[in-house]
Amino acid sequence: MSESTLFLITFIFYILAAFFYFSFFFAKKENLAKTGFRTAFMGLIIHTAALILRTIESGHAPFTNMYESLSFLAWSAILAYVIIEGKFRIRKAGPYFMLIVIALMALASSPLMPKEANPLVPALQSYWLWLHVSVTLLGEAFFAVAFITSIMYLAADSREKKGKTKKSGISSEKLDSISYRCIAIGFPLFTLGGLIFGMIWAYYAWGSYWSWDPKEVWSLITWFVFALYLHTRIVMGWKGRRSAAVSILGFLAALFTYFGVNYLLVGLHSYA
Amino acid sequence: MKDILRFFSSVKLAIVLLIIITCASILGTFIPQQRSAAEYAVRYGQLAGLFTRLQLTNLYHSWWFNGLLFFFALNIIICTLKRLSPKFKRAFQPTLRFETKTINSLKIKEKFKKNWNLARTKEELERELSARHYRIKEEDKENRSSFLARKKMLGLFGSDVVHLGLLIILAGGIISGLGGFRKDLILFEGESLPVPQADFQVRLDKFETEFYPDGRVKDWKSTLTVIENETALFSRIVEVNYPLSYQGYVFYQYSYGWDWKNPSLEIWVKKRSDPSFLRKLEFKVGQRVSLEGEDMQLMAHHFLPDLVINDKNEITTRSNEPNNPAAFIEGWQGEQIVISGWIFAKFPDFARIHSEKEMDLIFELRDFNSNQFSVIQAAKDPGVNFIWVGSGFLMLGLALAFYWPAREIKVILEESHGKTEVTAGGIASKNRDAFQTEFKTMMNSLRRSK
Repeated sequence: MSESTLFLITFIFYILAAFFYFSFFFAKKENLAKTGFRTAFMGLIIHTAALILRTIESGHAPFTNMYESLSFLAWSAILAYVIIEGKFRIRKAGPYFMLIVIALMALASSPLMPKEANPLVPALQSYWLWLHVSVTLLGEAFFAVAFITSIMYLAADSREKKGKTKKSGISSEKLDSISYRCIAIGFPLFTLGGLIFGMIWAYYAWGSYWSWDPKEVWSLITWFVFALYLHTRIVMGWKGRRSAAVSILGFLAALFTYFGVNYLLVGLHSYA
Repeated sequence: MKDILRFFSSVKLAIVLLIIITCASILGTFIPQQRSAAEYAVRYGQLAGLFTRLQLTNLYHSWWFNGLLFFFALNIIICTLKRLSPKFKRAFQPTLRFETKTINSLKIKEKFKKNWNLARTKEELERELSARHYRIKEEDKENRSSFLARKKMLGLFGSDVVHLGLLIILAGGIISGLGGFRKDLILFEGESLPVPQADFQVRLDKFETEFYPDGRVKDWKSTLTVIENETALFSRIVEVNYPLSYQGYVFYQYSYGWDWKNPSLEIWVKKRSDPSFLRKLEFKVGQRVSLEGEDMQLMAHHFLPDLVINDKNEITTRSNEPNNPAAFIEGWQGEQIVISGWIFAKFPDFARIHSEKEMDLIFELRDFNSNQFSVIQAAKDPGVNFIWVGSGFLMLGLALAFYWPAREIKVILEESHGKTEVTAGGIASKNRDAFQTEFKTMMNSLRRSK
């Protein structure tokens, strides 16, 4: 079976998972959420196979162009979701989260993204490609989960303020704490992969660990926003709405670092 | 002085500075940095002057941006130091002087009576705590014992270690900026150049470009030899991603190019009227050669590797890559130029030759050769080790701060009439839910044990 077939099957599984999660969302049957989770998990396994096959076929890491990197980001996002769901039971986040994953997969499969595996340009021929990109994207995947739980927090909070509480809903307090836990995982990963591994690789490939390249600057900006999140929360005691807003901003900065810089700004990182 | 200290010890200031630095950094990604004045004039018109004066066009190296970074560093130092000494006291000079009152004011706490005497309760409590790797300090008085059980206290210093790491990285950046330098060494094969500020030379033995089967570039490789006191010490292949380090210098495969000023050309001359006529000429740019059988001397006036006509209608070269190689040739009769024009290696039919008379000759640019050179960047960066050490501290600090949560449990046991009253409370700096679960489990098992 070819990589593109496996990718397609994965995509179908994710769409099915989203379908089950949304049925759960409207019909409020726990079993549907469980089926959704299992389908997403199956998708993750097939996706893993697809990535391995891609690596074997191309002979290099499966994230060297936009198609590969989007597919890998979707994989990381599902992995992060499976980990967080396993730890905190956040089924309610399932439908929203699957939407993000489907958007990533749809973007990856759009005709705008060239699919063919090209041989690596000289600058990418390094094992730091594996370490730098995979750890960074995994960190960003946890920011994505925090983004969803922060949005859900805002919704739950305004619902609770109006005096409405749903019996099956997750309390806003718990959502706030899950967002924090996701960032507590994402932040060290992003620091290590995005900034530190990035500096080491830049030192070997470009001759300088820091060049104020737009992608470097935007990674730093993302890092600053999450540093703000942590300091306002831990030192100044911000919680709830303001904290959620900073976490959302942080994810948007990460998103811009990932997409915006490639399409809007010019710099050293233009490989795709 | 005190006021200044107070000002810089505020976390609010840190947050304000962080927001300003973030906004400035964003601005710097939308204004292209370090371009020519002409480019800014086209892009921003009248604003260009203002932008340049505010150093927005070289923002990350501007005095005001670095000033902000300096104040931010100062702020981090003072904030961290100010919070350090209470933390040291808490971690290394713990006190057992607390009352039940103190425990009652904690968020996580338990209070219950046990049908045991003090000694037995103590023994059981110690067993519970040490089973979970708590280190115990106790103070015994008559009928009353105080316990302080603690673990992972280093976690308290996580944020300080992160800050230390950041400061070392910033220091590394300053050292790189002040003490570092880089120089491009343009080397032809067989040539050697002295390394600036060093007492050795590097020689380029070989430069080659490797290609994939589909014609894309796979790698650029330079074989370098380090020469000291006219003795060759060793040779190494330098390629992209794999620089050579020697005596604090790092040599990178940085670029390459051709010396297009003086290439040698191969030009074929044919005749429209006579298919059997063929003259193959090989000569350098600027040389005049006679065309056998014709009353004419041929010269290539100049050569462009990538000819293009720009928007001002000038003929120029787009790059130094031989994408559209072209030669401007002249035909001389005596001291008179009779024909002149461009011929193209990739488009032989496109030749543009001007001549006075009807032209029978066809000129084809068949081949061109010039010396290729490799650009090796020699860099000395004394700050780089600070960056790696700082990064190490940064990660260690993050690990401590997030995954090594300090936990403290305070217990007072008071015996009266053969029964013991247990008052216990706990403090966790992070991950309170997990701590609460641990605390409750321990207390429940103490309460229920028989």
